[in-house]
Amino acid sequence: MHRRDPRAKIAALMVFLVVLATAHRALPAFGLALVLLLSAALIWARLPLFSALARAAIVLPFSLVFAAVCWLSGDPARGFSLLLKSYLSALAVLLVVSTTPFPALLRGLEMSGAPRFLLMVAQFLYRYLFVISEEAQHMSKAAASRGATVGSFVAGRSKGRSARFRAAAGALAVLFARSYGRAEDIHRSMLARGFLGRFQPFGALRFRATDAVFTLFASLAPVLLRAAVERAM
Amino acid sequence: MRPKARAIPRQTPGCPLGPVHRRVDASVCPPVFALLRNLFFSRCEKCELGAPQILVSGSGSGTILAIVLPWKAIVHIPDGFLSTPVWATMDVAAAPAVGYIVRRAQRGFDDSRVPLLGVMGAFVFAAQMINFPVGIGTTSHLVGGALLAYTLGPAAASVVMSAIIAIQALVFQDGGILAMGANLINMALVGVLAGYLPFYLWGGGRWRKLAIFSGGALSLMASAVLALAELLVSGVPMPSSVLGVSLALFAVSALLEGAITLAVIEALETIQPGFVRKPETGRSFVLGAIGLAAVLLAAVGVLVASTAPDGIEKLGLQTGIALHVRSLVTTPLTGYQAAFFQAGWLRKASAGLAGLALIYAACLLIGRAVARKRSV
Repeated sequence: MHRRDPRAKIAALMVFLVVLATAHRALPAFGLALVLLLSAALIWARLPLFSALARAAIVLPFSLVFAAVCWLSGDPARGFSLLLKSYLSALAVLLVVSTTPFPALLRGLEMSGAPRFLLMVAQFLYRYLFVISEEAQHMSKAAASRGATVGSFVAGRSKGRSARFRAAAGALAVLFARSYGRAEDIHRSMLARGFLGRFQPFGALRFRATDAVFTLFASLAPVLLRAAVERAM
Repeated sequence: MRPKARAIPRQTPGCPLGPVHRRVDASVCPPVFALLRNLFFSRCEKCELGAPQILVSGSGSGTILAIVLPWKAIVHIPDGFLSTPVWATMDVAAAPAVGYIVRRAQRGFDDSRVPLLGVMGAFVFAAQMINFPVGIGTTSHLVGGALLAYTLGPAAASVVMSAIIAIQALVFQDGGILAMGANLINMALVGVLAGYLPFYLWGGGRWRKLAIFSGGALSLMASAVLALAELLVSGVPMPSSVLGVSLALFAVSALLEGAITLAVIEALETIQPGFVRKPETGRSFVLGAIGLAAVLLAAVGVLVASTAPDGIEKLGLQTGIALHVRSLVTTPLTGYQAAFFQAGWLRKASAGLAGLALIYAACLLIGRAVARKRSV
């Protein structure tokens, strides 16, 4: 599964999501069938099953609140549908993203018609996300070691609090300036390495027969499952 | 003199991600105040995304079980929440809008500036981890749309926010894929443009600070209210109490966002004045004012709608029906006739809200194109 073309996986994901989003009847059975389908795909992709299932549950707290509101408003079916659909969607996206390297995923999106400028920005964002986050964590730790913990933030008189507010804003501004400076350095190093002004598409993706077969089966699976479940009901 | 309230770490049951909450000890401050504080303003330090907490809050009059709505997570809509007409329409509307804004951004930034936008997006991600003290036992953090608009310009800011939303949906599964059109319109398009509007109108003059503050507040309020409207139109039941609490939380978050944005912009100007842009020349005051009026109507009017149903119902009726006839080919807003709502006025108001916001976005894009042509 890791070697399939990203476009195939994206197409299969879209079919899955649309089939899921438009399903209204027989939801528990259909949901179970889809969970089994995705679990089978996870096992086939040699990904850790329970970690993936747990990681997809990250969307549940938000959905649970709305499900509780639905249930208390007298529509438990809708609440269950919210939970199920958000969880299955998160699991499917997790599956696709875990089996596709990020640059390849963006390349597949680009060949499917997304604007390249936006995808390039996303790629640089992903590349520097963890760099800048670590820098922010260093700054937080430095500030904490100088006494600016959350406890000292929330206690204290208002004059001290506004000073700390401005200090946090200053920290953010410094992070901004450092990020900007880093971006300028990146720009200069790109020019120094012969960047000509336009990004070229890298690594042409080839859509092979195995990819077509995969797309066919992966798209048909949720459709057939839904037809089967709804006919059985 | 009343002794200051101390923050005591407690093991609070119910938080899905586990451990320590900061809860103000109820015994050193008036019980009702402590109750309100714990009800609305306690936050688990691990649940930075705003996971809901079930707080057992003790006050002098007994224990109350309170479910606190997520703070920031509410504006990223997952899959499965929106009904098919809504998410389909939003995707169809978002695709050309995002394409246009990307082309617009490319005019100001060529490909060599892409690393800058990428790194600024990473900065926004990282900035959301820095906590600002806002008193009464809570911290808040920056969302960032308005800040990006003031430093990079609105088109580039929209592109960066779009990239952020895409990464959040794909890598962190925070926000749905089918719902990404709705999220893009809410946050990357309307949020950024609504945040930029006050700056566009008044950023050059005496009212600059107020403009920046209100831009930050408006960007958050507009995107949150639009998300809420989309959920309502999709038929997610929301009783008035939950709606009221949500709107109150949004209003507070919006004010905080404005304050944080203003503080960061001021700090940036002391570091290096060149970071923050001046609003461009050749701008049209009339178009900006119309845009601002539309945004204010959509974002703030819903607060008034909660207390004055009859007048807004009439307005919503007129705008709802007018929009239904005029603007939409597919049927997201006719869906509201089939869906059930708690109150009739909500149906009309939310339809009017969503329709207004869509038309506002369209007008703003057209208006900017016109203004640009005039200034060239």
